This record gives sequence, structure tokens and C-alpha cells, in this order.
Amino acid sequence: MVAKEFQETPQIVIRDVSYRYPDAEDYALEGLNLTIHKGEFVAILGEHLAGKSTFCQLLNGIIPNFKGGELEGSVLVCGLDTQDVSVAELARKVGIVLQDPEAQLFTTKVINEVAFGPENLGLEREEILRRVRWALKVVGLEGMEDRPPPSLSGGQKQRLAIAAALAMRPEVLVLDEATSQLDPVGTEEVFSVVRRLNREYEVTIIMSTHKSEEVARFADRILVIHQGRLIAQGTPQEIFRDTELLRRAAIRPPQVSELANYLEAHSLRMLEFPITIEQAKRGIEQLFAGV
Amino acid sequence: MDYSAGYYPGHGFFHRLDPRVKIALMAILTIIVPLVRHVYIAVAMLLTVVVLWCISGLPLRIMGGYLKMLRGIIAFLFVVQAILHPGEVALIDPLIPPSVPLIGGKGSVTMEGLLFAALITVRLLALALAFFLVTVTTPIHLFTLGLVRLGLPYQLAYTITTAFNLVPTLQAEAKLIMDAQRLRAFSAFEQRNPLARMKAYPLLLTPLVIGAMRRAQLMAVAMESRGFGSEGERTYIEDIAMETKDWVFVGLTTLYCVAVLAVNF
Amino acid sequence: MRAPVIEVENLTYIYRPYGIVALEDVSLEIKEGEFVAIIGRNGSGKTTLLKNIVGLLKPTQGRVLVEGVDISRSTVAELATRVGLVLQNPDQQLFSQTVEEEIAFGPRNLGLPESEVESRVEEAIALLGLERFRHEFPLALSIGDRARVVIASVLAMRPHIILLDEPTMGQDYRGHREIMSIAERLHRDGYTVVIATHHVDLVAEYAQRVIVLCEGRVLLDDTPAAVFSQPEVLRRTHMAPPQITRLAQALPPSLELPRDVLTVEELGEAVLELLHN
Repeated sequence: MVAKEFQETPQIVIRDVSYRYPDAEDYALEGLNLTIHKGEFVAILGEHLAGKSTFCQLLNGIIPNFKGGELEGSVLVCGLDTQDVSVAELARKVGIVLQDPEAQLFTTKVINEVAFGPENLGLEREEILRRVRWALKVVGLEGMEDRPPPSLSGGQKQRLAIAAALAMRPEVLVLDEATSQLDPVGTEEVFSVVRRLNREYEVTIIMSTHKSEEVARFADRILVIHQGRLIAQGTPQEIFRDTELLRRAAIRPPQVSELANYLEAHSLRMLEFPITIEQAKRGIEQLFAGV
Repeated sequence: MDYSAGYYPGHGFFHRLDPRVKIALMAILTIIVPLVRHVYIAVAMLLTVVVLWCISGLPLRIMGGYLKMLRGIIAFLFVVQAILHPGEVALIDPLIPPSVPLIGGKGSVTMEGLLFAALITVRLLALALAFFLVTVTTPIHLFTLGLVRLGLPYQLAYTITTAFNLVPTLQAEAKLIMDAQRLRAFSAFEQRNPLARMKAYPLLLTPLVIGAMRRAQLMAVAMESRGFGSEGERTYIEDIAMETKDWVFVGLTTLYCVAVLAVNF
Repeated sequence: MRAPVIEVENLTYIYRPYGIVALEDVSLEIKEGEFVAIIGRNGSGKTTLLKNIVGLLKPTQGRVLVEGVDISRSTVAELATRVGLVLQNPDQQLFSQTVEEEIAFGPRNLGLPESEVESRVEEAIALLGLERFRHEFPLALSIGDRARVVIASVLAMRPHIILLDEPTMGQDYRGHREIMSIAERLHRDGYTVVIATHHVDLVAEYAQRVIVLCEGRVLLDDTPAAVFSQPEVLRRTHMAPPQITRLAQALPPSLELPRDVLTVEELGEAVLELLHN
């Protein structure tokens, strides 16, 4: 994978953030400190209820503006402090796609779904239609303007949700377990769109997911969240070879990385730690060649 | 696969009516229907609504589905009204013996009671079917737009629209829950006995309501995240305009309502 | 020779009135005590097939027999004591105020004496490790726990066959593992287990037999090793073997490593063996 160059000034700055849901005793997130640069593809890994969703909702201001609760510290996104600005304003900068395809689609036609956001912003009709056409093209749903959202497949629904977020022209797209309810086809469709957004349109991607194989292929960086804390961050290579971390955070690496970890536990080490099939193939060939 | 949220696409006459006209129709009927005092007028109105359904180009099974959904409430109302309504000509003797203090002698079914019960239920049926006809033939965003063009603020219009679409949305969910209950040998909803069905409702309502609340929460997050509630004037990519056919319908409906009221009083 | 407990004969199912052919001329037989996985993309007919087996749907053409009983001549309630179905979404299968009541719901509907109901509840709670949730409101539990309560409630009907439709939906890796080990334990205890899923790595590790559905038809029906060694066929239904299997298939044959591995350990052990010799 080609290493990307990022701008000096980070796009997202999270400083000493701790958060408690309303009427909750425990902190959902504690002591978070991190920065994300424009154009990065960041994956968030962690077990169920570790705080990944909460983290995602920090980024577009849903937390704390819509959900309430106590937020300490600061979250700066594209220069805006999420506690000083409304969710509607942040919606122009950060788009979010949720896990349940059905719950986030609520109109009767694809075109209306994508237009909903820009309509709320009061943009001119022509501009809205331009954005709708562009968004549908990017996600590969052109020609489906008049289809009812419930008639789409899982992968198509999530792509529609992405288009609906894109129509706001955000600089950052957050996907909160957006592929968890999809089959392999749907998952591939979504990752393919997201990758295109990242590579061609420089949209910063923040994706909470369990799909390690895809993460290995596409992510620049992985954040590991465990019990509300950021316990590790690094490249996929760094994260997937840390067996102690994997065990502690209850996250699963791609099977090829599992293989390398297994062999390493038996004193066999590949030259390059594999996170893809190609790399594992090379690694095994090298092991056999070295004998 | 399922056009949930009630709307069924089509190009029939009712589909093409301006949403403002349909909303006004709902409002007018809400005022007029409860004023009807004679069963035959109520029946005539019900028949009018049924005819509107039939010429709307919708598959009849949709109306059938709503009728099926309403049968429990209708039956319950009919029985209650028939028993409680006072009258002179007793058809069935009092359910509660006269010797019981205070409420003794009550609970007989009289001719007047039956007629009254018929009036109440036919009225309800006519109103409900008219309401459903509107929600089935009007896409959500046009319903909202209709309310907005009638003068309501957008967020209020949206809330009202969502409330009206709640019933069909929950119907599909209810079916899935009832399927799961059948898998545990629970078939109370298929029984004839309305009392058994009534006891079964809490078991259906708990997952239904909680599921609906969860989805509503998620939907709210999705909507907020797309700028719902932004300040300033909202744009609509589709707009509505009153045409001749709409004014004709308004005219006809006005005449109809005047006639109904005249005959009624 | 073990007896067949599920016999599907030329089953065709069409969703009226949309006219969607969900299953087309499907024939298969599942024998007592098997552990079968049904895989296929969303819309391939997995859920429709399972619903036809328990009688929630009745065949448009063909027939289904469960333990020799024709399902179209039986009620869902009667079939529920032979074959249990755990549907995809736990939130649509929980109706009671406490976990205990939920598990008792089925047996009570069967009209069993209270003492029998109680003992079944205890059994299910023990089997699924739900002791600490006894008095909790089921819909308030975490997704993995909700799924387990549903499984316990279905088991309390004492079926001999258990069908699970995407039981790992919405759960994390640990949740997936827990569900699969429950399925494995049930299998060891003598249940016939059928799981519909698209998680091929779990299927490779746990299932004895894999049926691949594609657009309502059976594409493959064989052992996991046999099924996953045919990636070109699987591609027709947009599925692929587990990553480790694909790796093994990508390695040069000169290394003499097995091509039909199903787990990381299998390939790892093979590598170790060859290299240490």
C-alpha cells in the first residue's frame, strides 16, 4: 500500500474527552486524545459496547447536542467545536451512516432520500438536483431515482444512505458498523464506494467495523477502543500482529494474520507481517525458500 | 419488497389529487362524521368511501387488510355500545340482574342500542377508511408538503405526517412478531374469541412499541445528521399546484357535505 | 443409517402477490444429528426455506416433511415441538417481562403442567448460561444476550431439530463464537442443527455439511472442504471461501500444502510439519 501524505493541520482534534450518557453512572468514553488528518481512512475496532458508536456520534455533534449527557474536553472538527455549533451546521462537514439500513431511510423514493439533507439546508432546487445526481453516481445508484428505498437490497440501502450523507458535501464520512447487517456482496459494495470516496474525492473516512480483512486492505490507521478508552492505534500491520492487544480487546485479525501469529508462536517468523493474501503467500514462499 | 409506511404507488385519481385537498378532506370528515345522527347517512358515507377506494386503482386487498385490522376494535365497540346504550325495546334481557345495587338492571341489548352501536361503528369505519385512503395514496413527503403549504411550520408538519404513517409501519412489524409467537404455540390472534385476542395484545404491544421507539430514536439521529431542524427556509424539490381537477373535487365534496348536513339535521 | 428428519421435495415458493420466486424446485434431505449450514447471499432463499420447514409458510409447490409429518397438514404449534426456529431479529421474538417468563411462554402455551414448565425453564437457563438474567426484562439486554434468550425460549419447546436464521446478526466476534459454541454443544447433545448464515469462516470451522443456495436453487450440497474447494462455483452466488482457504488455494502446488484447509490451525500445522521435516 502506498503511504499517504497528510496535511500538517489535523482535521479532527479530540482533546481529553470523557463522556457520560444522561443518567449513567459509568463513563462511556474516558480520556480520549487523538487527531485525524484530512484524507485518512481510519478504522475503529473494538468489542460490542466498547464505545465505538459513542465515538462516532461525537464527531457530528449528535453527542452531546442531541443526546445530552456530560461531555468533558473538546472535539474540534474542521475547525468547529462540536459543543459550540448545532448538529445541523456540523452536518455540512460530517456525514454519518448507521448500522441499520431500514432505520435511516424514511422517504418513499431514492431521489427524495438523497435530497432530504440539502432540502433542509434551503439550497436552490437546481443545486440540490446537481448534488443528488452526483451522489447517486458516486455510489453507483444512478437510474434508481424513482425506486422505493424498501425495495433495495441491503448493500444498495447502505449505499443510498451514503449518498444521502454525501449530498451534504461533507469532508468527513463516519460509518458506524454500516456493514454489520450486510452479506459479503453488500459489504464489498459499501467498502468499494467508501474507498472511492477516500481515494478520488479525498473524503476522510472513519469506519467502525468488524470486517478485518477489508480493514487490512483499505485502512491507513486503526483505533482500538476498549471499555471506553483508546488503548492502541497504529497501522493494520502493527495492530494485527499484537496478539496480546487482540486478545485483550477481543478483536479478530484477518485469518492470514492469525496464521502468521500462529507460526510466530511456534518460532517461525515471516519477513513481512502479512495482512493480505498476497503478502501471506509471499511470506510462506519465503519460509519454504529459506529452509 | 414491501411498501411499508403505508404508501402504495399508483396513478389513480386519488393519487393525483393535490395533497392539500386530501388533508382538507380528512379535516372536514373529522368534523362532519361525528355529527351524523342517522345510521343510513353513515352507511351512505361509508359506501362513498368504499367507492372511492374501488375507483382509486388500488388492489382491493389493501382495503381488505385495513378492514381486517379494524375488525377487533369495531366488534368491541359494537358490543359495548349495544349493551350500554339505554333504550326501551329489550331484545336481550339485562346481563346484570336487577337485584344488584346501583348497576342492577343494566346491560340489556335494546333495538335502540343496536342502532346506536351500528351508527357508531359505521361512522368510525367510514372515517378510518377515508384516512387510510389518504395515507395509502399520498407519499410522505407530499403529505408533509401539503401541510406546509397550508401554513404549518415544517417540523410540525413532519411530526404529524409521521404520526399518520405510524399504523401501516407497525402493521408489517406486528406480523413478524405474531409469526414468532406462533412458533411458540401461541395463536391467540387467530382465535374467534375477542376476549382471548384482547389478552394477547400486551404480548404484541411490548416488542412492537419498544421496537418502534428504538427505530424512532435511530431515525431521529439520522434526520438530525442530515440537517433536520436547520434554520431558515426549507427547499422542496417537488412542488404541488392546485389544478382544475382538484378544485372540481373540492366543489363536489363541499356539495356532498352540505347535502349530508342538510339531511342530517 | 440415520433417519431423515427433514425432507424437502421439489419445493417451490412464490411470494404472492409480488410474484417473487424465492425457492425453485429445491430438494434436499437432512438426517438426524447432522450439523448443516445453509449459505448464500441475502435474497438467495435461506429464510424462506427455513420458514417453509416450520410451517410459517406453506409450499406453493412440492412438499416438506418433518419427522415424516407433512407440514402442510400440520399446525405451526404442533411442528414447534419437533423443529424450532430462531429468527434473525431477537427484538421481534421477545414478548415477556422477565427472562423466566419468556422461556416459560412456549411450554405454557403447550398446556404443560406448571412443574414441567418450571423444569424446562431451569434446563434452558442452565444450558444457555442465563442465570444472572433471570428476572431481567429481555428487551433491555444486550444483543448477544437477547439472542441467547430467544434460543433458550425455543429450546424450551423441546424440539429435536433446531434451525437458526443468521443467529450472529449484530454481534461482535466474541458473540459469534459464543453462538457457534452453543450450536456445537446442542449438536453434541443430539440435536439436529441447521444454521443459515453468510459467515463462511464460522461455517468452515463448525459445519459438517454445507448447502449453498443461489437465487432459490441449490447450487452445492457437500462437506465444507468440498464446497470451499470450488471457488468458481461459489462466485456465481457472490460468495467466496474463507480467507485462509483462499490463501491455501493461492499457494504454489510445489509447496505440497493442502489446498482444502478450513481453519488457520490446519494450515499452520501443515506448514510447521513440512518445515520441520
